[in-house]
Amino acid sequence: MADAPNFEKCTLAYTLPWEAGWVTAVTFIGASRKLAAGNEHGQIMLWEVPEKAGETVPLPTRRLDGHTNYVSRLFSAADGKTLISTSYDHSLRYWDMTAGSKGEDSVVLQTKKAPNKEPVPTLTHKVELQASEKTLGGHKDWIQATDLSADGNLLVSGDDKGNVIVWDRPAGTELRRWQLKGWAFAIALSPDAKLAAVAERIPLIFDSGRQAALRLWDVTTGQMVKDFSNQQGAKGEHFGAAAWSPDGKLLAVGQGNESSGKIYLLDAATGKKVQEIAGHLSGVNELRFLEEGKLLLSTGRDTAIRVWQTSDGKKLAEVGKPRGGQFKDWYHAMSLSADRKWLAAADMAGAVAVFAVG
Amino acid sequence: MITPRHLLLLSAASFGLILQPARADEKPFRQMIDQEIKAAWQRENVKPAPRSSDAEFLRRIHLDLVGTIPTHDEARQFLQDTDEQKRAKLIDRLLEDPRFAQQQASVWDLAIFGRQPPGGEVTRRRDVFQKWLQEKFAKNEPYDVWVKEVLNAEGNTSEVGPAMFYAQFRNQPEEAAMAVSRIFLGTQLQCARCHDHPFDKWQQLDFYGMAGFFARLVFVEGGNANQRSMLIGEKRTGEVMFSGPVTEQVPGKKGTPVQAKFLGSTPLEEPALPAGFKDVEVKGAKTFPKPDFSRKEKLAEWVVAPENPYFAKAVANRVWAQFMGRGVVHLVDNLSDKNPPSHPELFEALSKELKARKYDLKWYIRELVNSETYQLSGRGESTDAAPRWFERARVRPLTAEEILAALRLATGYDQGVKPGEKLPNAGNEYFMRYFGEPLNGRGDFQASLNEHLFLNNSSNLRQMIQAKKGNLADTLATSKEPAEERVERLFLTVLSRLPRAEEKERFAAHLTTAGQKPEALVEEAVWALLNSAEFRFNH
Amino acid sequence: MNPLCPVREHVSRRAFLKASLSVGGAAVANWGGLFNSASLAAEAKKQGMRCILMWMNGGASQIDTFDMKPGRPTGGPFRPISSKVAGTQVCEYLPKLAQQTDKLAIIRSMVTSEPDHPGGITSMHIGYRPEVSIAHPELGAVIAKYHGKPDSDLPTFIRMGPAGNGGPGFLGPEYQPFSIGRDGRLPPFSDAYATAESEKRRSDLLKLVEDGFTQENKADPYGAHRLAKEKAWRLLKSKGIFDVTKDWPKAKERYGDSEFGRGCFLARKLVEADVPFVEVGHDNYDSHADNFVCHKANMNQLDPAWSSLLIDLQERGLLEKTLVVWMGEVGRTPYINNRAGRDHYIRAWTIVLAGAGVKGGLTYGETDIDGKTVKDKPVTEGDLFATIYSALGISPRTKHMVGTRPITVAPERSVAVADILS
Repeated sequence: MADAPNFEKCTLAYTLPWEAGWVTAVTFIGASRKLAAGNEHGQIMLWEVPEKAGETVPLPTRRLDGHTNYVSRLFSAADGKTLISTSYDHSLRYWDMTAGSKGEDSVVLQTKKAPNKEPVPTLTHKVELQASEKTLGGHKDWIQATDLSADGNLLVSGDDKGNVIVWDRPAGTELRRWQLKGWAFAIALSPDAKLAAVAERIPLIFDSGRQAALRLWDVTTGQMVKDFSNQQGAKGEHFGAAAWSPDGKLLAVGQGNESSGKIYLLDAATGKKVQEIAGHLSGVNELRFLEEGKLLLSTGRDTAIRVWQTSDGKKLAEVGKPRGGQFKDWYHAMSLSADRKWLAAADMAGAVAVFAVG
Repeated sequence: MITPRHLLLLSAASFGLILQPARADEKPFRQMIDQEIKAAWQRENVKPAPRSSDAEFLRRIHLDLVGTIPTHDEARQFLQDTDEQKRAKLIDRLLEDPRFAQQQASVWDLAIFGRQPPGGEVTRRRDVFQKWLQEKFAKNEPYDVWVKEVLNAEGNTSEVGPAMFYAQFRNQPEEAAMAVSRIFLGTQLQCARCHDHPFDKWQQLDFYGMAGFFARLVFVEGGNANQRSMLIGEKRTGEVMFSGPVTEQVPGKKGTPVQAKFLGSTPLEEPALPAGFKDVEVKGAKTFPKPDFSRKEKLAEWVVAPENPYFAKAVANRVWAQFMGRGVVHLVDNLSDKNPPSHPELFEALSKELKARKYDLKWYIRELVNSETYQLSGRGESTDAAPRWFERARVRPLTAEEILAALRLATGYDQGVKPGEKLPNAGNEYFMRYFGEPLNGRGDFQASLNEHLFLNNSSNLRQMIQAKKGNLADTLATSKEPAEERVERLFLTVLSRLPRAEEKERFAAHLTTAGQKPEALVEEAVWALLNSAEFRFNH
Repeated sequence: MNPLCPVREHVSRRAFLKASLSVGGAAVANWGGLFNSASLAAEAKKQGMRCILMWMNGGASQIDTFDMKPGRPTGGPFRPISSKVAGTQVCEYLPKLAQQTDKLAIIRSMVTSEPDHPGGITSMHIGYRPEVSIAHPELGAVIAKYHGKPDSDLPTFIRMGPAGNGGPGFLGPEYQPFSIGRDGRLPPFSDAYATAESEKRRSDLLKLVEDGFTQENKADPYGAHRLAKEKAWRLLKSKGIFDVTKDWPKAKERYGDSEFGRGCFLARKLVEADVPFVEVGHDNYDSHADNFVCHKANMNQLDPAWSSLLIDLQERGLLEKTLVVWMGEVGRTPYINNRAGRDHYIRAWTIVLAGAGVKGGLTYGETDIDGKTVKDKPVTEGDLFATIYSALGISPRTKHMVGTRPITVAPERSVAVADILS
């Protein structure tokens, strides 16, 4: 294994321009420096990140057309051949990363809202076009929560009508589904892909119909096997992000609401809280374990990615900075490149931030 | 001959107050008040109510000064007393009653915290704060002195009384700015939070400028399951960030730090940070060192400074309203060019004199309640609860605390509790719920059906009016006195007055209704008086 | 007596109290027409009108419901769907209501004056900008006054959940709201321990003391106190109607299993029983953050409740007598902030009316392409209240004396929207 990445020495290398509205999802593709990001209108754009920092700011190479609403998550299969996207348009789509171009279009690029940077002048640029390889129907509402198994063979997605669907990822077929009481807000698959932790919500305010739950489901049967909803720390919380540690022992969940963004490490067997982590000023949008579970990366509603030591909840590094002001922008999502040299963030302010990891 | 003025001096001197000697040609302040009020009556062609009856006055002054009604014996004695100076003497006595400090502390506690203070568990029980404030009133510490202490407060709420004030505003400097402006400066800033104030001169930067004074407060929660507490301290760095009108908030827009600025005045001048300065670590702190430059200290100095244009006016008006039912500027926390006083000269004089007397609130209250204006009757044609020209005594609902205290006292609920013992809970939380917030947003009384469902049907009230050894119902049910005398006792005890002829007759007849148990009849009679408007209001 | 002030306004409160307070627990007089409601109702041009106010507390977003801007930067992620009325689109999360748009008059051109909650809640309940010097009555109090039935034991102004903050204002304590839980539950202590005989004895004594005191003491709070006592007694007689536990299991399949749905169902039962005004509050639309999930969750409750209410009222022949108002204190900004929220907006927003002769199937007024301004036919809160009162047969120019000032129920210069009135 490569040396542990040094997040303390992360520097902003590139702010990728895109007249995008909010950038809502981001992922590196396979082992490459190819980067995909999605926006609130349903567009997905691809870039090639240069070999090192300090080069000319890269421009997008290709646009993936198909979704008609907010792109909520992007996943890359480990082999880098398939990009998986989920959307508020009720569908999941597969995109063949080896396919050729199906035409081209000119796009207007401008980071009119790029934070902390001089605006880049508006620029018209040609990109290749690509359509999706496969569309997975079956959801009837926004897909907000999804996870891909470690081996890439299972995909679990949940929507705002409470439908959770387990997919055979390579085949793109539905294996089974179950129904939640609330909306699926976050899903995390256990390392062996046998269990899915599903965080539910019905986000009503001051109404007894408000609902919150955190439950474990058997992916092979669709049966609920454990209910952590009433555990200390979990009760009444809407978790907007979840991740399972590589050894399967810890379940990390992050508050997804607006007022606070704490992260809890739960004993995955019992649901007992073992560690509370300060997290983010507001909600948490994504969590990921690193270094065999010793580290936890998080991002959320304060334009920062933070690196935590899971043994004691200590903050080891902060990448990006909260912007101040009465209210904050968000990082919707983050992605670490396979070689761990790049960390990308989907910035609500209309850009992809790419940090060079020290 | 001893005039009321002499009495005032005597009693003041005997309690060691430092009073400026009155010049011979100077009229007592209370007369100035009455003159201004009368001049307005003439100008407005308003007919005043007559002077209050002794019984009216007796009940009113007890509730206003000590927060409960007089006992049966006190009422009987006062009504029989033929001394012409008995009102002034009673006022002097009640001003020295320990319950006076308790009542004033309770009034201010409510003004500062309201019934639903922010701050969750920490601010729910405020014993330490209330006790601290009581001590201030007990020794009549000048108002500006204790307010400064409130604004300078730091330390743990479980030990330091005034620290509770800031505990309401944990990490919300904007809320602190609004509350300080409203409570101590009588000024409404909240509209200027999201946009420049549409009806007043305040702009957003005035708002955030004031918030800047509280941006460095730090809060560490602690305590145990019984009582949460909060440690309040102050850092040397930290700013309020301002990002323009709320309608212009857009993604990517960065807030800019705002300089702390005194309301309607100059920005705060601050010394530069010492080289290599590192601020205190908040997390897990047990104490906080005082910073070499404290913003809240500067604010506290500015708030109570003689040249502050709002401070004296705000308190003079607030305390006036406490006793007279409405402010000379109405509402009391809306001093504004757009909301002029009803009696401009009086308004100026009140704050000027209170300031000249070094914010001696006891002196001020004594002058107010000795005035003819305060002592007008509640009878008369005007239907306003608090008439604009003060031509009739105001009517105000008893607070939840007063209702409960008056009910306990009238019914003899605490008979058998030894001095120093803690009083039993009489369903206090229900009284808070049903009597805690009797006013609408404009300060008008709103009768609630729920209050009456509680009075009619609850066991909480019933346990007070059912006969229990030594209580009022028991005394009346077991007394060998003639029914008429028992009715007198009942009325004096509950309403602090004698029954009218018709009342005496009807109640006597009721108590002797054939075929009914005396205990049941007494319970009904006590219930009737406790449910009357006469009991519900301070009039 | 002031010639501008109708005689019945001066029917002495004392005379009235004498008439009704003598009843004690045994024989209970009416809640409704405490004064002379028959003649008040005669003053209204229509008889027996009712109003249900669905109060969207916090302020619902017009762009995410009835004035959608698909494809625009202000549009957000919701998509419009077609409705029963050609050309009228509503949000995809209001599918059932889309089948009822033939009953709706959608006013898309609201321009109001109070941008914040307390002021907005007040002004959108009284039809005026809040004034310190005048306590205007709420909509419910005015309707209670002109359409309250003299022979009803039920309160005439009922509200559930988050609702108005103004109360009866200068109309006086008689028209105070009766607030019940949002699921229709009555306040605690609604069961009497006193027997009827005992209640009568003690209330007779109370009446004697009150009469003596109020001979000379005439301040308004005393009347309020006494009327509230009256209502406490009357409640015992009429409270059965509030219990919907038997009908609810079936009804919830249509109204939706929510407190708001249950509140709408109870509101239907109450107007069937001649209660003239019921307000049902729905919490909470104040989505400065997470506007879309907040609205989606709310619409999931709103859609079945509102549509079932309209269907039921129509099936019972009550829709022509009952005005159903959908509004809150503010609209929400067209632009979406950096918390995925929308803030308060009063320059271009939407309110929906149905029933009571209001023309259905139409939209009134129009906003620009991004929903930022009203292109034509602006409607103020005063105009809205003039429209509401007109629909209910109450002249917007009906005057009440406040001190020396005659005050109209809707502001002097307000104009009813004639295009939507039949």
